Amino acid sequence: MLEAVGLCKRFGALDATHNVSLRLEAGARHAIIGPNGAGKTTLFNLLAGEIRPDSGRILLDGREVTRASPDARARAGLGRSFQRNNLFESETVALNLALADIARRGTGWQVWRRLASDRAARARAEAVAAQVGLGDDLASPVASLSYGARRQLEVALALMGEPKVLLLDEPTAGMSPEETGRMLGLIDSLPAGLAVLIVEHDMDLVFAHAHRITVLNYGEVLFEGTPDEVRASALVQDTYLGEDAEAC
Amino acid sequence: MLTDPSFWLVQGLNSLQLAMLLFLLSVGLTVIFGLMNFVNLAHGSLYALGALIGYSIAEASGSVFLAFLLAPLAVTAVGALLYITLIERLRSAGPLPQVLVTFGLIFVLMDAQRYLWGSDALGVTGDVPFSGTIHIGSEPYPAYRLFIIAVGIAVFAGLYLLLNRTRLGAEVRAGVDDAETAAALGVNVERTFFLVFLLGCGLAGLAGAVAMPAFSAEAGMGVEILVPTLVVVVVGGLGSLSGAFVGSLVIGVTLTFGTALFPDFAGIAMYAALVAVLLLRPQGLLPARS
Amino acid sequence: MTRHLLALALFAALFAWHSQAEYYGFELLAEIAVFAILAMSLDLLAGYGGMVSLGHAALFGLGAYLYSWLGSDMVGLSAPLAILGAAFGTGVIALAVGAVAVRVEGIFFIMITLGFGQMGHEFFFQNKALGGDDGLFGIQRLDLSGIGIDLSDPGSFALAALVSAALVYVLLAWVLATPFGAVLKGLHANPNRLRALGLRVLTYRAAAFAFSGTVAGFAGSISAQHTQFITPHLLNWTTSGEVLIMVILGGLGTLVGPVVGAVVLVLLRHELSSITDYWGAIMGGFLILVVLSRQNGLVGLVERLLPGRRG
Repeated sequence: MLEAVGLCKRFGALDATHNVSLRLEAGARHAIIGPNGAGKTTLFNLLAGEIRPDSGRILLDGREVTRASPDARARAGLGRSFQRNNLFESETVALNLALADIARRGTGWQVWRRLASDRAARARAEAVAAQVGLGDDLASPVASLSYGARRQLEVALALMGEPKVLLLDEPTAGMSPEETGRMLGLIDSLPAGLAVLIVEHDMDLVFAHAHRITVLNYGEVLFEGTPDEVRASALVQDTYLGEDAEAC
Repeated sequence: MLTDPSFWLVQGLNSLQLAMLLFLLSVGLTVIFGLMNFVNLAHGSLYALGALIGYSIAEASGSVFLAFLLAPLAVTAVGALLYITLIERLRSAGPLPQVLVTFGLIFVLMDAQRYLWGSDALGVTGDVPFSGTIHIGSEPYPAYRLFIIAVGIAVFAGLYLLLNRTRLGAEVRAGVDDAETAAALGVNVERTFFLVFLLGCGLAGLAGAVAMPAFSAEAGMGVEILVPTLVVVVVGGLGSLSGAFVGSLVIGVTLTFGTALFPDFAGIAMYAALVAVLLLRPQGLLPARS
Repeated sequence: MTRHLLALALFAALFAWHSQAEYYGFELLAEIAVFAILAMSLDLLAGYGGMVSLGHAALFGLGAYLYSWLGSDMVGLSAPLAILGAAFGTGVIALAVGAVAVRVEGIFFIMITLGFGQMGHEFFFQNKALGGDDGLFGIQRLDLSGIGIDLSDPGSFALAALVSAALVYVLLAWVLATPFGAVLKGLHANPNRLRALGLRVLTYRAAAFAFSGTVAGFAGSISAQHTQFITPHLLNWTTSGEVLIMVILGGLGTLVGPVVGAVVLVLLRHELSSITDYWGAIMGGFLILVVLSRQNGLVGLVERLLPGRRG
């Protein structure tokens, strides 16, 4: 579904990403972890299309998207959420979801019908809203939502496009344990055929929910494998989990 | 005409002279924009004010030099007043309200200038320094225009030293690069902005005072020079001294040679340059941040 | 909903005034109608789409000149075709300008529109074939004698202009309720997110610019028929400033606000221009005061004061 081959990105003298490859099949639950400065954000942005790699390739469902713009990738089936909430703050939840729908389907040219008359679109929005626990808040302005609810909406926007691949950037950032639990429930309920890539700091979440983990360090792939393999790896223990392992 | 070397020499010098005036105006605007994401649209009006105040001082005292000295100070004082009463209040409101207020100021200052000085062009009647002609090769050229060029280059040199060799300059460069981090590191970004704003006003006033003997002073000259100045800021790249200098040269050459070769379409040439930059390199030729 | 009721009341008041008016009143009403249309077109672009233009009058003036040129001996189109040509011709040029201008945002965009506006002004100023600085005379009005209406009668013309303004309000209110209108609001609120969701941001922005330009050009064609004499001043930055001030004074992003602003500013200008030479300073002062007040113009103020409404 999503494949990255030999991605490299330099910023001046800094090798932010060096020869990183990964591969997600449909239904993947793949996490990317690594210490601060390991290059997780850069890799994420390369996959999402915010920046272009110096070399390497990115393929989405077999199609070359290495140099494609973020909007072209979204239209090709890539969905992404943002680490810091990136919503339409001045509008209602319903309009936020409607905009996500319009953007994905290209229905923004419809000047002959009122937005409210599109029942199918409304039904889709209601379904996604219910899925993220915002079913009763459609008419609420975003400004009135709690932080956790906004994080849910943040993911909901990416889901509205019925993506093939979903990139989640630290979905539980800044959340209370209760809110984290709700977000995990949401991630668990994602469609089975959807390929999901998560950048995360929360190790409990990662080890409990990911099927495969890529560990980054200094812009390179240090290790890739199942959670058990990662836990058992001496290499990963030493460089990354070292302190925690000693504390056990 | 095109084969005559003196044509190229004269128009080249004219380009340089226009470029220097544009530089004096654009450098303040671009650094303020780079620092605080804010454009003072009334900047051209301050240029006109510098010319008009310079005229009055020259007429009253008989000395144009005194005008060069005092007019920029007067304009800086007006700028300080505007900042304290209006612009500072809107710092938290975001860039759009600030731009709108300075746009409203254009109207207010224009009428204020018409009220105080009338609507006619005012030419200074006393002695103007450097009023002779200098012969470059066989070609006579007004010495005063060479003076303007010299002033521009001197200011560029002075600003270069200020920006790269002083603490204030370091704070400005830090603020342009990343205001949040600069503030976190202890730079008083608001104070830096105020000082840069005052400096920009002073330079606009100087440009007006210096332009006045050559081009006379009138209330409408502010808006006339504003658009080329804004084009220079966009073309040169925001936030940088060298961007302002190079942008001024590009637009100075475009407008001068355009007027000489295609009199009715000189403006179009400038807009063509603007469009080209927007399409090919929207961040400008030499932006401070890439 | 309140805003539509406010618009209904406002238009009703204007029509009521029309029924009592005489020559001077008709002239004011026609001017109000023209500027209401122009201001609404700017609000669509700036208030809803978030693209503040300081050169909007250039599209207005362009529409006026296109109408005059298309209807003149040089081209010889009938008035209805000239109106369509003016509106859509302006729309096409707005699309070309917009395609370039929308590549930058915020203050950059504002600066570019000021520049392009002045370029438009310069073009007509230099263009001797279209009268240059002296302007164009003898512009013909639409001939509705076939349905018994004589537009050379000031009262009939003013009524036609008011009806046009009301229809434009309805049209724009409709568009704002469509998916395109939603996209406009999204472009204002968070263009980056829209891009990440799959929207071609530049294309939609350029389309908004073109649509707004079409309506502005339409206003220009009515203005040309009203005064039957046009000059390049129609494209000047001062005219752009006036329209922007109307929108802001009335209330940005409210659609009815621009109409309110047009009424207030046209009436004030007529009252005060006869007393003072410094109308510009007064206009500029208004703009500064409205911005400093942090209310969204008159409509924003009214909405703030209505019972049961949060700020």
